[in-house]
Amino acid sequence: MGKWSTMWLFTKKSVTGALIGLTISDRYGFIVPVTGSSMHPTFSACDARFPGYLKADVVLVEKFCLEKYKFSHGDVITFKSPTDHKQNFVKRLIALPGDWVQVPESSEILKIPEGHCWVEGDNAACSLDSRSFGFVPLGLIQGRVTHVIWPPQRISQVERKKAIERISPH
Amino acid sequence: MGTLNPLWFFMKKSMTVALFGITISDRYATVYSLTGTSMSPTFTTSSPGFPGYLKGDIVLVEKFCLEKYKFSRGDVIAFKSPSDHKREFVKRLIALPGDSMQIPDTSDILKIPEGHCWVEGDNKEFSLDSRHFGPIPLGLVQGRVTHIIWPPQRISKVERKVAMERVRST
Repeated sequence: MGKWSTMWLFTKKSVTGALIGLTISDRYGFIVPVTGSSMHPTFSACDARFPGYLKADVVLVEKFCLEKYKFSHGDVITFKSPTDHKQNFVKRLIALPGDWVQVPESSEILKIPEGHCWVEGDNAACSLDSRSFGFVPLGLIQGRVTHVIWPPQRISQVERKKAIERISPH
Repeated sequence: MGTLNPLWFFMKKSMTVALFGITISDRYATVYSLTGTSMSPTFTTSSPGFPGYLKGDIVLVEKFCLEKYKFSRGDVIAFKSPSDHKREFVKRLIALPGDSMQIPDTSDILKIPEGHCWVEGDNKEFSLDSRHFGPIPLGLVQGRVTHIIWPPQRISKVERKVAMERVRST
């Protein structure tokens, strides 16, 4: 009788803890390891094998920004890939709706349509981003990367980097 | 001391129920009250302003389909608008990635790009859909509408309607 009530208490506490964890990670913030080299040197990624995963940067993603969609030029954001909805990308937000952006390596000037944005990886040579798949609807954004929290020697805040020479806000 | 304990107990229970409700509504199923006439006669909607809201259809939206992105042509889906990320639309899914479809009122054939889909409202004259904003990324989809649950005389399952004469799958 004593064992059952302890187990029941433990189950209840675990379920409540799991619910709190799920709600926080769905709505407020979560942590995720970064893969790929498109944001080098801002993030260092790992080999795709154990123990490679432990070497990757782990970052904190906050979702408070989604409430009012308050993003700034130069934020690092995570979003669902427009060409593969099962993949999440991490890139820097270069331009917002209504801005004019100069497409790199060309003399084209594009106006960002309403509800969309332009993203690019910091490591331009190895990045699949808006230069390939075009404007990203803001509805695909999952959160903003605020801090690197692992490994310990790389713990830091992720800085905003604006590309002012390439965009003109409206 | 006596009055504090039941109050604390009540608060704990309410918070747990609220967490359960939030988690279920974020991840598994939720209810929407519909506005607009773009899906008439499948759904009838209300006029804005009380008691108009009570006359509109209330539908059940399931999110299990998002886990593996299992959608069928002819499903009614809810998605974030590509031109205004703060708004959600409810439309019928006409074509999936890789399909070739005929654009209405033209003789153009369009191949749906990877990771995207084509949506249209049942009420063609009053619907703002893919005919205006093009194919939408699947990452914008928020769920599938399965049932009308209010008003009582309209409680029913939402049927799939496939536009076979216009869509050719690969």
